[in-house]
Amino acid sequence: MPPAGIWIDGLVQSSTYITMAFGMVLVFSILGILNWTHGQYYMIGAVIVYYGVTAAGVPFPFSMLVVGLIIAGLGMLVKKVIIDRVSGDLYVGAVTLALIFFFEGLASMLFGMQDKGLANVLPGSLDLGTFSVSYQKIAVVGFTLVVLIAMYIVLNRTKIGLSIRAVAQEPRAASLYGVRVERVSLLVMGIGCMLAAWAGCIMAPVYAINPFIGRMPMIFSLLAIVIGGLGSLSGAIIGGLILGFLNSVMTYYISYYSEVVLFVLVIILLLVRPQGLFGAALK
Amino acid sequence: MNVWLNRFRTYDWRNMWPKVVAAVPVIIFLLIPVFTQGEIVLNMLILSGIWAVAAMGFTLILRTGQFSLGQAAFMAIGGYTCAILTVVLGWPWWWGFLLSGIVSGLIAMLIGSVVLRVGGIYFSIITLSLTEVIRIIAQQWESVTHGSRGLITTPPPNIDLGPLHINFMANSVPFYYLTLILVAVTGLVFWQIGKTRMGGTFYAMLANQTLAEHEGIHLMRYRVIAFTLAGVFAGFAGAIYANYLTVISPLIFGLWQSIQIMMMSIVGGMSSLVAGPIIGSTVLYILGIQLSRLPIYGISQLLYGAVVVLVLIFLPKGTGLIDLWPRIWRKIYREVEDYEIPGETRQED
Amino acid sequence: MAFLELDDVTKLFGKLAAVEDVSFNVDQGEVLGIVGPNGSGKTTLINLISGYYKPTRGTISFMGKKISVLRPDEIAKLGLVRTFQSNVLYEKTTLVQSMLMSSRLQYKTSDIESFMETKKYKDEHEGVVGNVLQTLQLLDLFNETFRPASVLSHGYQRMLGIALALAANPKVLLLDEPTTGMNYEEAQFVVENIKKINEQGITVLLIEHNMKVLLDVATRVIVLSFGSKIADGNPHEMMNKPEVIEAYLGTETV
Repeated sequence: MPPAGIWIDGLVQSSTYITMAFGMVLVFSILGILNWTHGQYYMIGAVIVYYGVTAAGVPFPFSMLVVGLIIAGLGMLVKKVIIDRVSGDLYVGAVTLALIFFFEGLASMLFGMQDKGLANVLPGSLDLGTFSVSYQKIAVVGFTLVVLIAMYIVLNRTKIGLSIRAVAQEPRAASLYGVRVERVSLLVMGIGCMLAAWAGCIMAPVYAINPFIGRMPMIFSLLAIVIGGLGSLSGAIIGGLILGFLNSVMTYYISYYSEVVLFVLVIILLLVRPQGLFGAALK
Repeated sequence: MNVWLNRFRTYDWRNMWPKVVAAVPVIIFLLIPVFTQGEIVLNMLILSGIWAVAAMGFTLILRTGQFSLGQAAFMAIGGYTCAILTVVLGWPWWWGFLLSGIVSGLIAMLIGSVVLRVGGIYFSIITLSLTEVIRIIAQQWESVTHGSRGLITTPPPNIDLGPLHINFMANSVPFYYLTLILVAVTGLVFWQIGKTRMGGTFYAMLANQTLAEHEGIHLMRYRVIAFTLAGVFAGFAGAIYANYLTVISPLIFGLWQSIQIMMMSIVGGMSSLVAGPIIGSTVLYILGIQLSRLPIYGISQLLYGAVVVLVLIFLPKGTGLIDLWPRIWRKIYREVEDYEIPGETRQED
Repeated sequence: MAFLELDDVTKLFGKLAAVEDVSFNVDQGEVLGIVGPNGSGKTTLINLISGYYKPTRGTISFMGKKISVLRPDEIAKLGLVRTFQSNVLYEKTTLVQSMLMSSRLQYKTSDIESFMETKKYKDEHEGVVGNVLQTLQLLDLFNETFRPASVLSHGYQRMLGIALALAANPKVLLLDEPTTGMNYEEAQFVVENIKKINEQGITVLLIEHNMKVLLDVATRVIVLSFGSKIADGNPHEMMNKPEVIEAYLGTETV
């Protein structure tokens, strides 16, 4: 039985993945394809919050809020200006991949390639007997819970949430019912990117920041939604949870090859039950 | 003018001209080392050629309706096979080279037989995962692959055949011709496939999988064939890469390289099995290299991404750079044609 | 041993039985009509025979060989070829290209021989091209040979679907509502062609809504309702059976 610290770490990792994966699934439902740039919004979020706190001196929570809005806007801009101009699943996929290079280059130019660190917003840690957890990490988990609850409320209890669900499932029918599909798609893109940015923000003090930190989160959130089932929101959450804990436990036991095991497990899952846990089977 | 052109009527010069013009670059490629021994130029061409081979494989798999992010993995397998056989086990170089393609092909066949059953996005994600798995194994299996430090490869031995004395270490020229041969062989094989019945079978699978299956086409068989062939040639390409760069490390064959291979195929034009990937790889590789010379850190990546995005936006759906050729041709041709035969209208589809 | 035999074939989707305990035989050379109101399981039946679905229970045998466990391409190779009700065509290809892509089963030469373009392959290929052009001519598609399928009217696109099925060298042709979306003349044309096809020895299974067509061309008719077979016999008799009329209540009958 791995020590409790590993479980905590798993929870923290899960939280990041859940937020990212949730955003990714939202975008997937409206774009129809995977947004490979998703990880970049994570990175940009972290970068801007870094500047917000260090250069502009804006307190962290407020920075985070603003960053979320900025990235939401950025995501919407990208969708409107670039993605909408490209037709065909394959090409949209290619464009989102190309944008990875674009954003990494931009960040390299402005931010530099060196790792930079952001001081802990919530310094200190909670002592729980045999181990301690930094408050920052607790904040990560807490934040994710807040986000999830907020998302639940928005999606299930608001009118706009209803529109979103409608567009995600059946855009044509939704438009016939008067839903402005274009607008809703744009909004969903914004929300998805915002979630990614917030994941980046909240993790910024925990790990180092450099232009390339978006890559692994994107791959992991992809794995998470695969486990949970493409297109399923609850799947994203469960997938994120499973992945986070698996990653933590694996790293503890077989550090070097942990990623290999993860990928192999995902491969086997896809071979045996491609629709994941909750996804609809695609023929 | 009219009379003069009439003299050429006996030749079907309308159909011939594009082919003649297309043959010119081929001859140029053959003769480049005659004109310049510049290492930089040859270097660019060699590496473009290597990626072109991988990109051609990607396009072949795409022709059967599948989207593989695994080409870089097979380059890695080929590269490491050759390196390990020649350096660690001391095999003769050409045997190591031959095995690089064979081993990649065999592994492709084995993996493909299992993984191609699921198809679609799941297949793509699996190939993505496999590429990363191979990279990580290469990184961690220190005893065999020397991990991130990389394996230093031995170049092919000198060849002495009568008047011919080829020294692979002297300059890039021998590798240039080796790459050229690989590109040519790959291109010819793929082109022939595209031209004959199997190409039609592949395309049927892409155009409408269900219909193709009900017309008697065994989907798995052809998917595996395409995947294996792509793997074989990617393996050879990887071997040349490893030996040309004199070192092979896990960093050069990861997921991001698979993604770049995909972009080369798309930008070049997916409708073309041979010319498209070659153009795409050459353009993107040279673009990448030229951009990396710029003094500002990061601008190369930014511009690279921007260029690809712009190309994808402005090229009409389903086309790539290769498809500009008929358009340009038709634009030029139309002027000539209008001049020559007044009164005849030419419909543009 | 019947030519094509269905034994207690059942297909369940969850709890819903799309087809339930259907049994019948098809004799070589006949034209068997399959009718029934919407949702009675006709297309599911074709999907089962062609291998697209596997039956939950029961077996399907062709010339003594159990085909219910085979893949669609294996079943097609044995000689059972189907058309599709929704327009299933090869996108963006010309008619002759589509036809050639569908004629894979006409070739006996191996893939390697085709790759090497051996003389044997080239001769065979010429023959196949000839067959393709002939088929196109038969179905009045010849004028559009080099044009993409999108230029065809809906009716002619269905015709192309039949041509594509013929290209696969069928012994048994399974037609899924071939005259849907056609006007009277086109439907007549299809009927004529079904007769011609049948005269060449091809057994035809015909799913149809249009009773006129069935009366004209079918030698026998099977009636389905809610997944079960409720009648089997001569078309004229079928139309007067009370069960059949009841199943169709609300829809047009001749």
